[in-house]
Formats: sequence, C-alpha cells, structure tokens
Amino acid sequence: MESLNNLMYGFGIALEPMNIAYVFAGVFAGTIIGMLPGLGPISALALMIPITFAMEPSSGLILMAGVYYGAIFGGSSSSILLNAPGVAGTVATSFDGYPMAKQGLAGKALAIAAYASFVGGTISIVFLMMVAPMLSKVAVSFGPAEYFSLMVLGLTAVVSLSDKSLIKGLIAAVIGVMISIMGIDLQTGTERFTFGTAHLLDGIDFLVVALGIFALAEVFYMLLRGGGGKEQPRNAIGSLKLTRSEVREIAPPIARSSVLGFFTGVLPGAGATIGSFLGYSMEKRLAKDGDTFGKGNIKGVAAPEAANNAACTGSFVPLLTLGVPGSGTTAVLLGALLVMGVSPGPAMLVDRPDVFWGVIASMYIGNIFLLVLNLPLIPYIAKILEMPRPLLLALILIFCMVGVYGMSFSVFDLLLLLGFGLMGLGMRLFGFPAAPLILALILGAIMEESMRRALQISGGDWSIFIDKPISMWLLIIAALSLLLPVVKQGLARIRAR
Amino acid sequence: MTRLNTNQIIALVLAALAVGYLAMAWQIRPFPLPRPIDSDMFPKVLGFTLLGLSLLLFLEKPKAQDVPEELDPEEQTGPLLLRPWSRVIVTSLALVAYALLLVPVGFVLTSVSLVFGLAWYYGYRRHGVNLATSLGVVLTLYLTMTRIMGVYLPTGLLPL
Repeated sequence: MESLNNLMYGFGIALEPMNIAYVFAGVFAGTIIGMLPGLGPISALALMIPITFAMEPSSGLILMAGVYYGAIFGGSSSSILLNAPGVAGTVATSFDGYPMAKQGLAGKALAIAAYASFVGGTISIVFLMMVAPMLSKVAVSFGPAEYFSLMVLGLTAVVSLSDKSLIKGLIAAVIGVMISIMGIDLQTGTERFTFGTAHLLDGIDFLVVALGIFALAEVFYMLLRGGGGKEQPRNAIGSLKLTRSEVREIAPPIARSSVLGFFTGVLPGAGATIGSFLGYSMEKRLAKDGDTFGKGNIKGVAAPEAANNAACTGSFVPLLTLGVPGSGTTAVLLGALLVMGVSPGPAMLVDRPDVFWGVIASMYIGNIFLLVLNLPLIPYIAKILEMPRPLLLALILIFCMVGVYGMSFSVFDLLLLLGFGLMGLGMRLFGFPAAPLILALILGAIMEESMRRALQISGGDWSIFIDKPISMWLLIIAALSLLLPVVKQGLARIRAR
Repeated sequence: MTRLNTNQIIALVLAALAVGYLAMAWQIRPFPLPRPIDSDMFPKVLGFTLLGLSLLLFLEKPKAQDVPEELDPEEQTGPLLLRPWSRVIVTSLALVAYALLLVPVGFVLTSVSLVFGLAWYYGYRRHGVNLATSLGVVLTLYLTMTRIMGVYLPTGLLPL
C-alpha cells in the first residue's frame, strides 16, 4: 500500500507537463542515438549530460532514464533492419530479427521487439518498486567498510563478465581509479597528480572521459574502418500487425525473460547484454521448435527484447538504493546525478523521494511512449540510418565538443577530450574493455573515501574489511568473480587436451 | 632475439607509466597531523597494482581480439591524406584547431567550419546540403544553449 501511495506521488511529479515532455524527448532521442550503430546508451547518456546540467534533478534523471531505455529500444531497430546492433544489449535480437527482416517481416519483428520491451520494462518496474525499498532498508546499515567492499565487487564483476581479457579489464579499472583521484584530495587538501596546472586541481570531469572513450573513440574507429563502414542494404519494413496466435506464442517467453532480465540487471556487472543472451538461450532450450531459432523465430526476438529492457530497469536497483552502479551505463547516470547535486543511496528514498519515485513513475510513461509513439514512427525514424555517414560523423564530433565546452568552458578540457578519444581508440584496437574504466572513474574517489573512513574508524587496522561479515562476504564474492574466468579457462584447456 | 608481441609492448609502456606514477605518489606531501591513512597511500597501492598487472599482461599471450584487425588494403594504397590513419590524424588536428580557435573566432564560425570541412573531407560531396545541415545544427545548438539553457558560448567575430 505504501509503495502504491509513493507511486502515486511519483506520478504527480512525472505527469507534470515539462516532465512528460522530458520523458518523450528522452525516449525519442535515445531511440535515434541507440539506433546508430556504434553509439550505445553510454554515448547517448554522456551526450545528454550537458542538457540536464541546469535541470531539476528529478527532471534530469527522468530525461536520462528515458534516453537509456529509448537507446535499448532503438538498438533493436538497427539489429533487426541492418543486422548492425546499435547497442550490445540488442545483439541477441539480431539472431532472429534480421532473418525475419530478410523474409520481409521487419515490421512484425519491430512490433514484437516493441511489445516485448514494453512488457519487459513494465514488469521490471513493478519488481523495482518492490525490491528497491527493501534493499534500501538493508543498505542503511552499511558502513564505509561494506561500501568499499561493495564497490570492489561492482568493479570485479564488471571486469570478469566482460568478454575481453581479465588482466586488461583490471588494468582499465586501475587506470579509471587513477584518473578519478587526480586533483585536490578533499580530506587533506593535498594536490595529487595535477602536474602543476590549475586546470587539474578539480580533477578530470567524467564527461570528458566518457565522451572521449566512447563517442569520440567510436568516430575514430569508424574513420579507420572506411569512414564508417560500407552502407548496408535496408530491408523494407512491412506490416507491424501481429496475429492472435503470434501474441499467444510470444506471451510466455516475454513473461519469463522479463523476470530473468530484471534479476540479471540487478546483479553488478551483468546488465542488458548478458540478460538478453540468457533470455534468448533459455527460450531456445525451452522451445519445442528450438531448431528454428536463428532462422527468424518470433520467440527469438521477443525473449532477448523483454530481457534487455527488464535488465535495464533492474540496473537502477543498485544505483538508486546503494548508490553503486553495476555497469558502465549506470555509472554515467550516477555521474550525471552527482553533477546535479544528488547522491543516490539508501537515504535517497527519504531525502529525495521526488527523484526516486518520479523516475519510477516516469518509466511507466516512457514505456507507453515507446510503444504508442515510437513504434508507429519507426519507419520514419529508421530514415536516420540513411543519413550520409560523413555528415553523421562530423555532427557527432561537434556534439562531443559542445557537450564538454558547454559544461566546463575550458579549452583545456577539449584537448583532454581528444586525448581520451585517442586513448579509447587504442583501447578498442588492443582489446581493452572500456566499461571497467568508466565505472572505476565514477567509483574510484568514493571508494578511496570509504576505505579511508573505514580505516579511520578502525584506527588503521585493515582487518575491519574482513571483521564485518557483509564486507567479508562481498570481498569473497569479488575474489571468486575474478577466479571464475581463470578456472573456466583452465577447465577448457584440460578438456581440449 | 625474439620480437615482442603487442601485449608485451603495451605491458612495457604500462609498466613505465606505473613507475612514473609511483615516483609521483612518493612526492605527495604528507598531511601535518598523523592520520591512519594519508593521501599517498591509495595512489601507491594503485601504482603497484598497475605494475603487477603489467607483468601479468607481459606473460599473457595475445588473442585475436588483442591485435588490431587488418585495415582495408585498397584504402591503404589510396592518396596519403585519405588513408585510414591519415583520417584519424587530420580529424585530431582539426579538433585541436577547433579548440584553439573557439574563443577568438567564436562558436558559430568554428563549429560550422568543423562540421562542413570534416564532412567534405570524409567524402560528402553535396555541398549545399552539407552547408545547410552544418549551419542548421550549429545554429540550433547555439540558440538552444545560449537562449534556453543560459549557457554562454563565445561569440568571437560574429556579433551574435
């Protein structure tokens, strides 16, 4: 009952005319950006931060959340139409979505993706409403030691679940933390790694790093690969209508994958990509016609789409209740909230209920917008894919530059942005994952603060991190999450012999 | 002597970076009052961790994803300025020029020049559409940021 009252309060905020406009603008912009191959939700969110800078925190987060799930929805459109997923979380959608498009059923695949995203999003919001307040109550008892260990777990989980080298993931995370602690140490007033320049006294803004490592690096990568790659033939969209038997066929996979996706999203490091693959493989195993998966099976589109949207909502649980993001995307959201002066965490439910419940209510509205407005508009929005690539690349560059300059008014930051763009390109070329770096960048300074506060409480005794049971278990899980890929590799080698 | 692989070269660069970082961490001034943990502790832990990870990377064999894919051979034999790496270098130089000229020349002029010039350089030949798009997007951005969001952008040479 209390949750319902809170939700009504949230609707009161989300239904304010300006906030409705922000939800619409968010899902619309997210759909467009997510559709562009290469520009995922992280780039979309980073590009939006300068716009939210002067907004009310609740409105800002409403807009950003809309961009996030809009980008996931938009990513599925390019997966289906071009077999070029705009977002990693929609790769699984292309397995059956693109074959459907080749059979002239692109419209049907897009409609299934939209309905599945809607149901996945809506079911997971109900779970979010139930789980988040409970977790908040538990998290209130967390001290600095527990927070430090939780952040270590968040980082190791993201590293171990990335499909790249574990060592390179850890290196990316360490470099992220190194960048985050540059500038004046707020506890002692000591300068650290400022190279004697006043520009670095406040450290490096995370927007500079996020836009550089993701958006700018993506432009550079496209330039290396022939100015954005060869244009691909786009399939005709066709009818968006589904028959009753098709609806009956996709309903159970959508329901199952929504629940699975939500809980995958809650786990640190998992998120939309893993959620969508789990949903897809679960349905493939359960289906009687599993052998037709990959050849245009409608359940193969419905399951990953429901799961990725549900995971996207699920990832808000650790962000809003613990203040610890579980993925690179939610790390950017946390960064945006910190810029707006809001610190998510267990106290947020009490201190800023407007932000918390406003965002949850806006998700319902956003999902309706996605279904009612974006779906019929898809044939028109998809025309953006026909935009000449040279023009598109030049425009992305200017958006990055304006985004950074509009926030810091610093030419030095523009040069730093370029530096991080080249660094991101190098990371991409040599197999370094970018998500651990961005997550570490956001968490690094908070991690150090928690560690120092914990040690201050214990009088410098490091055993505080294992004396506290929650902290100890979090550290054990973190260690296991790093050992798991090593053990799996070892077993694979033994089997290969 | 065997040639170093990509992971080993990167590991050496990172190790040098870690050593430099540690040297700087040792120069961090101590806080006058004794504290259980001072400003230099965390950076030192990070520096040693990076050094250790560099060593592990040195020993790790590169997989297919750790080596850059071959670039299009056709493009690599084209005119020097249009080769893939030239595109990255020219774009980087254009962005440096943009950053340096933004304040003296102004947002609108530098931004339109950047978008129009780079789109042309990347191979877009419909100059009218290019100019209209560059101008339209830049002016929209300028007006949105200055008039609606209250963000100051340099006017430079234009009396905007």
